[in-house]
Amino acid sequence: MSTSSLAIRSVAIRTIALSTFGSFLRNKVILLFGSLFVCIVLLMMTPLLAYKAMTTADNAQQMQGFILNEVTVVISLVSGFGSLLAAWAAADSVAAEMKSGTILAVMARPLRRWEFLAGKYLGVLMLMAVYVVAMMGVTFLLAWLGGQSFHTPVWTLLVYPLVRYALWAAIAMLLVTLVHPIVAMGAVVILMTLIAVFSSTARHIPVWLQKPVHLVLPITSLLSEDRFMEITRASLKPFPWTNHLTALAYGLDYALVCFLLAVLIFQRRGLTRD
Amino acid sequence: MATPAIEFSGVNKIYQRRLAGVQVAALSNISFAVARGEVCAFLGPNGAGKTTSMNILMGFIYASSGRARVFGYEPGDVRAKQRIGFLPENFAFYRYLNAEKLLQFHLKLSGRQLPDPAALIADLLHKVKLDGYKGLKIGKYSRGMVQRLGIAQALLGDPELLVLDEPTSGLDPAGRKEVRDLILALKAEGKTIFLSSHILSEVEQICDRVIILDRGHMVRTGTMQEMLAEDNRVEIIVDQLPEELELAVKERGAAVLEREPHRVRIAVDVAQKRALTEMLWAGGCDVISLTPMKTSLEETFLKLVAQGQGLGQGQVQGGAQ
Repeated sequence: MSTSSLAIRSVAIRTIALSTFGSFLRNKVILLFGSLFVCIVLLMMTPLLAYKAMTTADNAQQMQGFILNEVTVVISLVSGFGSLLAAWAAADSVAAEMKSGTILAVMARPLRRWEFLAGKYLGVLMLMAVYVVAMMGVTFLLAWLGGQSFHTPVWTLLVYPLVRYALWAAIAMLLVTLVHPIVAMGAVVILMTLIAVFSSTARHIPVWLQKPVHLVLPITSLLSEDRFMEITRASLKPFPWTNHLTALAYGLDYALVCFLLAVLIFQRRGLTRD
Repeated sequence: MATPAIEFSGVNKIYQRRLAGVQVAALSNISFAVARGEVCAFLGPNGAGKTTSMNILMGFIYASSGRARVFGYEPGDVRAKQRIGFLPENFAFYRYLNAEKLLQFHLKLSGRQLPDPAALIADLLHKVKLDGYKGLKIGKYSRGMVQRLGIAQALLGDPELLVLDEPTSGLDPAGRKEVRDLILALKAEGKTIFLSSHILSEVEQICDRVIILDRGHMVRTGTMQEMLAEDNRVEIIVDQLPEELELAVKERGAAVLEREPHRVRIAVDVAQKRALTEMLWAGGCDVISLTPMKTSLEETFLKLVAQGQGLGQGQVQGGAQ
C-alpha cells in the first residue's frame, strides 16, 4: 500500500471514529447515562460530607473507615458502569447503523469492512477515554473531600480502566456481529456475572476447570486499579513496572483477539436487515 | 472489448431461515451484463429481487452461488467502489447532520482529494436544489429533499457507474423531471447508470436497456427498442360499428378495444388490415384513422409478470448480453 493510499485509509477510519464519537455525544441513552453518573456522584457526596462533618478526635478512625468504604463503593460502581457503557456503546455503534440502514451509504464508499469496524471501535474508545477522565476526576474529588490522598501514578488510573473498557467493547463488538444487540448485551452481563462469581470463588473451583475458565473468560481483575491503588495516606502497594506491562498486554491482547474475530465475522455477514 | 461495468453470471441468492428450517430463493440464475455508458433499468414487481441484486452488486450481501463483477472486480472491492455512486432504496442518514456536513463526511470517505471540496459540495447542493437548505438538519427534511440529498451524495466521488435504487421515489412530478433530466445529463457525460424504478413511463424515456425480474427470475432483457417493438397489429378507429358487423370483425381475429358513442377502436393483425378496412367501408362505417400499434413498456411488463404468475416462476427470455 502506497503512502498516499495509507493516508486516505487512515482518513476514512478517523472520519468514521469521529462520526461515531459525535453520534454518542448526541445519543439519548448516553445523555441519560451521563446524568445518572452525575446524580450518583452527588448522592454519594452527601454521606461523605456528613461523615467528614461528624468527625471528631474520638471517632476519627471509625469515620475514616466509613469514608474509605464510601469512596471505594463509588469507584467500583462507576467502574462497573463504565464496563457496561463500553459494551453497550460498541454493540450499539454497529447495530444502530445496520438497523437504520445508514451503513449502506457508508459502505458504498471505498471502505473496507475492517476499516469500518476499526473506526467504530476507535469511536467507542474515544467515548470511554472521556469517561475515564471523568471517572478519575470523580475519584480525586471524593478522595479530596474525604481528606484522603492518592499514592498511585495518575497514568495507571487512566490506562488500566481504558484497557479494561477496550476489552469489553471488543467482546461486545464480537457478539453483535453474531447476534441481535439485545442478546449481545445480555451475554455481556452474563459474562460479567460469571467473572465476578469465578473471581470470588476461585479457590473452590476444581483444578481441571480453572484452566479453561481462565482461557475463555477475561480476567478483568488483572486490569483493575484496585490491585495497586491505595487511598489511604498510610501506604503504597509495591507494584513493579513489569507487572503493569504484562497486565496491560494481557488486556490488549484479549481485546485484539476479540476485535479480529469480530472483523472475521463481519467480513462474511450481510449488511442489510434481511 | 472493454470489461462491462456490471456482469452477473448465474447468480443465485438463497436466504436461510435456520430457526424456521426454510430456504427462500431470492434470486435464481440471474445473468446479464451492463455495458459502459449504458443506462439500464432493472424492473420488477415488489419482491422480485431488484434490491437483493443491487445489494450483491454493492457487496453488502454475498451471492449463494454464481459470479458477479463490477468493472471486473468482485463486488465490495475498494477498486470497484471507488468508481461507483450508490443511492440506496431508502436513503438513511445521520439525522443530526445538515446536508453540507453529511456531504463532507461522505467526501472524506470517498478518498477524493480536491483543492476546494466546499465548491464541489456547493455545486452538488445547487444541482439537486438544496442549496437553500444546506444549514438545516436533515432530520427536518421532507422525503423528497432526502432523496435529492441521496442523489447528491451518490454523485460525490465523480463515479463512472451510478447504481440508483428507486431514484425518483418520494419525489413530486417536478422533482421527478429534475432527476430524469439529471440522469440524461449524466448519460450525456458517458456515465453508466443502473437504476430500478416502478415508474415505467420514466424508464421508457431515459433507459437504453431493460432487465425485468419476477420473483427472483429474470423474465426478459433487451434494448428499449426491442421492448417497445411494434406488436404486429394496427389500430383502426371508426365512427360506428353495428352489431352484425362486429361479429364479422371478430371472425377476422380483430378485437374491439373501446367503444364510445362516435368512436370505436379496433385492433387487428397487420395481415388483415386491408380486408377489414374494406369490409368496414362497405358496411357503411367511416374509418377515421389507421395506426400501427406499439406496446408500451408498461404493457410488456404487465404481460410478462402476468405470464409469470400463470406459469409459476417466470422463464428467462433473452439472456446475458
